[in-house]
Amino acid sequence: MEKIHKPKKVFVQGPISPEFVSKSIASHQSKTAIGAHAIFLGQIRADQKESGVVTAIEYSAYEEMAEHAFHEIREKAFARFELTCMHIYHSLGTVPVGEISLFVFVSSPHRRAAFEASEFVVEEIKANVPVFGKELIGENGAYVWKENS
Amino acid sequence: MYYGMLAEITGHANELWNSDENLTVGKFRSQILEKYPALREKKFKVAVNQKIAEDFAPIDPSAEIALLPPFAGG
Repeated sequence: MEKIHKPKKVFVQGPISPEFVSKSIASHQSKTAIGAHAIFLGQIRADQKESGVVTAIEYSAYEEMAEHAFHEIREKAFARFELTCMHIYHSLGTVPVGEISLFVFVSSPHRRAAFEASEFVVEEIKANVPVFGKELIGENGAYVWKENS
Repeated sequence: MYYGMLAEITGHANELWNSDENLTVGKFRSQILEKYPALREKKFKVAVNQKIAEDFAPIDPSAEIALLPPFAGG
């Protein structure tokens, strides 16, 4: 039977805490068909820019379109890989350097599907989801707009 | 609707666009560049009703149009 995957809330305000990540892991202990989890965590890097060092990224999004895009990525990943479940969380608002702004969590009976699906999902998010980021620099309100390569 | 750096250039996040019935994404691009010449130096995609649209795509008069600067998720 085809499983229907309901759209899930992806955006969270501010950084994603390590406690949230560990609770997500714990909540899968009852799903005993799973043999492999793959987790990707995106962390804010203190990049050196011409005008100074990045202290935080302020994220915004075309939220409605982004939620659709996240849903499409989920559907593609479920169609392509043998997955038991999948969760994506992305920050909005300000995330200081060293903190987590993206949490991708895929679970499968076997490791290969988990590895491959996590990479696929992260690359799709970077390329196809309308999220915008201002890299804040120093204390004086300077910033540059981030662009995924 | 304008997002990210593009909202800074246009000075607002939303605008009502009046146009004739045969608007396409390509025509809209040239109209918007005429109104905001500073956008010429910027890379952006156009989304019509939340889908990225190519220049030949028609735009319905009631459509929601968004100008999207380069994505930065992750």
